[in-house]
Amino acid sequence: MSGPLHRRTLLALAAAAMLATPALAQPMIGQPAPAFQARDADGRTRTLAEFKGRTVVLEWTNNGCPYVQKHYNSGTMQRLQREAAKDGIVWLTVISSAPDMQGHLTGPQAKAWKAKAGAASAAVLLDPAGVVGRAYEAKTTPHMFIVDKAGTLVYMGGIDDRPSSDPASLKGAKNYVSAALADIKAGRAVAQPATRSYGCSVKYASAD
Amino acid sequence: MRFLAGVLFALVFSGLAAAQAQPVNTGHLTAELVSSAQGIAPGQTIHVALRQQIQKGWHTYWKNPGDSGEATRLDWSLPAGWTAGDFVWPTPHRMPIGPLVNYGYKDEVLLPLTLTAPASARPGETVMLKGKASFLVCEEICIPESADLTLALPVVAQAAAADPKWGPAIGRTLAAAPKPAGLSAAFRKEGAALKLAVAGAPLKGADVADAYFFPFSGTAIDHAQPQAVERGPEGLTLTLAPGVDFQAGAGPQSLPGVLTLGEGGPAYELTAAAGPAPAGAAGLGPPPAKASGGGAGGLNLATAALFGLLGGLILNLMPCVFPVLAMKAASLAGHGGGAHAQARRQGLAFGAGVLATFLVLAGGLIALQAAGAAVGWGFQLQSPPVVAALALLMLAIALNLSGVFEVAGSLQNVGSGLAARGGTAGAFFTGALAVVVAAPCTAPFMGAAIGWALGQSAVVALTVFAALGVGFAAPFVAIAFAPALLDRLPAPGPWMDVFRKALAFPMYAAAAWLVWVLTQQAGADALARILGAAIILALAAWLAGAAQRRALVGGRPLAQGLAAAALAAVAVGAVVWPRYAEATSTAAESRTAGAAYEPYTPERLAALRAEGRPVFVNYTAAWCVSCQVNERVALSTKGVAEALSRNGVAYLKADWTKKDAVIAADLARFGRAGVPLYLVYGADGGEPAILPALLTEGLVVRALDAAAKPS
Repeated sequence: MSGPLHRRTLLALAAAAMLATPALAQPMIGQPAPAFQARDADGRTRTLAEFKGRTVVLEWTNNGCPYVQKHYNSGTMQRLQREAAKDGIVWLTVISSAPDMQGHLTGPQAKAWKAKAGAASAAVLLDPAGVVGRAYEAKTTPHMFIVDKAGTLVYMGGIDDRPSSDPASLKGAKNYVSAALADIKAGRAVAQPATRSYGCSVKYASAD
Repeated sequence: MRFLAGVLFALVFSGLAAAQAQPVNTGHLTAELVSSAQGIAPGQTIHVALRQQIQKGWHTYWKNPGDSGEATRLDWSLPAGWTAGDFVWPTPHRMPIGPLVNYGYKDEVLLPLTLTAPASARPGETVMLKGKASFLVCEEICIPESADLTLALPVVAQAAAADPKWGPAIGRTLAAAPKPAGLSAAFRKEGAALKLAVAGAPLKGADVADAYFFPFSGTAIDHAQPQAVERGPEGLTLTLAPGVDFQAGAGPQSLPGVLTLGEGGPAYELTAAAGPAPAGAAGLGPPPAKASGGGAGGLNLATAALFGLLGGLILNLMPCVFPVLAMKAASLAGHGGGAHAQARRQGLAFGAGVLATFLVLAGGLIALQAAGAAVGWGFQLQSPPVVAALALLMLAIALNLSGVFEVAGSLQNVGSGLAARGGTAGAFFTGALAVVVAAPCTAPFMGAAIGWALGQSAVVALTVFAALGVGFAAPFVAIAFAPALLDRLPAPGPWMDVFRKALAFPMYAAAAWLVWVLTQQAGADALARILGAAIILALAAWLAGAAQRRALVGGRPLAQGLAAAALAAVAVGAVVWPRYAEATSTAAESRTAGAAYEPYTPERLAALRAEGRPVFVNYTAAWCVSCQVNERVALSTKGVAEALSRNGVAYLKADWTKKDAVIAADLARFGRAGVPLYLVYGADGGEPAILPALLTEGLVVRALDAAAKPS
């Protein structure tokens, strides 16, 4: 006679389990940045550890998202990447779109897109399972993170202070990433380490 | 000619102007500006609204879009002097997508805003109000869309009539929109969590199980995390996950937003200040689980009655009933050998006794609850005098079965005992007694049925209890009506005497159990008293028996009979009359044969849950035999003790042996009216899992392991 009760118990427990997010290493400013391991567009496995001793910028992207297009079509993102590369900063572009979702690219497609857009990132990381995305709790495209030379997370948030997809909003926008990189170069603490990220949602695989 | 051309031109253009007031399809939604009034007077403020009809499956966003997205905007190009206010945002919906959560609207939404005409507006003119609406409309992908909208509004001398369609619609939207309600709210960071405490008159006694806080700022909280609710007498406390605002520096000092009490429920605008919680916002623990075992939430009379019937049937199998089964068996043994009519009469009498007692007990319970007492099912056994009296009654019956004295009829009818002249009355009495003693054991289904019934009208509740009674009595009555079965029974004979005397022992055991319960409730002094009374009662029984034997051989033992009656009265009076001292409570952490536990209080539970520990709460009572069986069979085992320590589960025991309003209220919240109730609160802060009423070691271990998993 405990049949129906047993089922309900299991359902309740399952529901309770699903409510919890697997935030094993919740990214926090001032704490070590979450480790990751992902293949890049050339098929090589890249990790955060291999860049220890260098500043790393992580940029979540989705080439179909109007907010990403605002930055790439105007060339502002590429310019930022070139300037960062000149200072020896490692710029990693991450694609966490699941297969069949907007923005998903295979290795060759990613290389083609990078060439066409004139992007100057050090590598494009392919994260179709969303493992790196969830480790960093990346919510939008674009979503920016900066890890300093010691491996500590020093910036997380939006690329600038204009949460709009209208290209006109770039004029007069304050770019948080360039400001943070300037702070790091000058040896200062990042003045605004955590800001609002904006954009389309990262296209993780649907729950069902 | 030019004049005509000009007129034609104007006509064409005015036609086009009218066309510009039409709704605009931007791709995935259709937008238009609508007005609540048919015109506006100079200096008057009316409400207009931006209407969105969104394609099915797509959505637009609220003021704070959540983890991603962008709020709808309206950029006006108004003539000089005209002003427009901000949107009055209706309560948004939570829209989860994968691990993210957005706040927005689907299907159709009206965003009202105020529009004020300058005093210099000229009545008779129609003013064209233009605005550019920008939306981010998303399904799986997001598309920014925009529409150039125009609203042609006549300026009138006096306040105009309401627009027949949009006036009421905008009025309804404004009425339903969240508004300040005088709530006091404060927030503070506690460890990794953000506690938002809200108190105020609108929250007192409200159902807050689905409460949710929508902050206006997109960086205040982590929108994707669930918000655990804790109730308080005047309000509630939500446990939120802090957002990026709390990552850098001191964090914000104010947290404005909208508190809702569920989809379609009331919504309040509030601004929480950083600081200590207002009084009354916590302390009553989390709200009850919506789905309790047996689905109490979704019951109706038919289902509850069915559950009652099943519960009553199953009650025959519960350990509580065993002493009474002994009596039932004894009376049944008198029916072998063809006394069918008598058997049927007694079967019905038993059924009537059961039914009547259930209804009387239920009536008493309903009346007590209506009078405000926090009693639950089994309340009769929470009172020491009742327990003591029942113990003496069990002893008397056991002595009767042992042959020390007879209830009715002569000694020669020893075989027929309860089947003689007094047999029908005896059967009725047996039925009544069976209910009184067995009822505190809540069988599966019974708990849900009673829990639901007590929340209904008296007539409905009594119907459910009647169904319980029918289920309980059914097996016995059925046998009494089955001549084939009755004929199977051996004919009355000397074997019946031995059988009766053997059955006395379960009754002695029942008496001993009740004495133990009494000791739990009222301590060692009560034990001394009941034992003394038992001796006096035994003496009375012997005297009564002796008197009966004397009467058989022609004597008139009036003195002996009276003495027996007097002694019996003294025994009963000694245990029922005087007050019972409360048993001294056990130490804060006690040890049973198994795991260490603490006494349950809602505050301790809330504190443990705030620490993120899983908690196992065991609602039990000394007089609840199925609870005791579960303790010995499942909860006191090594496996469970190991599972508790391995998973860091705190074990709280809620002892309902004596009256306790807090426990009674807890049981009611989970749709139960009796014990046992086993709750496992997971480490993640969600609703507790309810374990079945019959436990096994494996079941408990699995539940404890699962509770600790999502840490």
